[in-house]
Amino acid sequence: MKKNSFYLIVGCIAIVLVGLFWYSEEIHTPLLIEIAFIAAVAAVYLARRKVVDLIEDERSAKITEKAAMRTLQVFWVVFCAFSIGAVMQILHVPSFPRAAPPIRPSEILPPRSMGYVQLGLLCLMFFLYVGFRMYYARKYGDWEIDEE
Amino acid sequence: MKNKIKVFRAMHDLTQEDLAKAIGVTRQTILAIEKGKYVPSLDLAIKIARHFNVTIEEIFLYDAVTSTVAID
Repeated sequence: MKKNSFYLIVGCIAIVLVGLFWYSEEIHTPLLIEIAFIAAVAAVYLARRKVVDLIEDERSAKITEKAAMRTLQVFWVVFCAFSIGAVMQILHVPSFPRAAPPIRPSEILPPRSMGYVQLGLLCLMFFLYVGFRMYYARKYGDWEIDEE
Repeated sequence: MKNKIKVFRAMHDLTQEDLAKAIGVTRQTILAIEKGKYVPSLDLAIKIARHFNVTIEEIFLYDAVTSTVAID
């Protein structure tokens, strides 16, 4: 299979997934899109193995590795910082006895919104990865001008 | 790490694409190595040297200053 055919297949799978997401939302069956997503990822991996003109060498592996590592390094700090704040808000840890009435932490976000923010952070992780990947691709000469 | 890949390619009348295909990497990787943007692994360095029938030292020249920057 050629590289372009692979990209075409990935595009088609993405469109089908969007349709299935819509449909599973209409019939209120989240399991459908969950299974479809896993099946789609498996299909993409299988199709990728059939591509003949896609060379993955040590440089591209290093770019991927570095981008993934930096993404995790940034992501876990932001995610944990937010999650710690969220847990603190939900747990209502009892304060030490004191003369004044216990002070409750001011509620920044309702618990449901916290989940949405965490979901948003997970989505941002993808863009963070793309950004780091572009940075390292440039660093390791992906867009160098050919002198031949 | 400086290298003479470009010189050896010219001597053997090879394009970046030819060399890349011969050692199983992308043309972009050869370009990045030639420009000093990427330091190849020992495995790849040996492959390149063997392709030109020379030793690694004849192609790759260790430079302490630039190598420290490359690791960072």
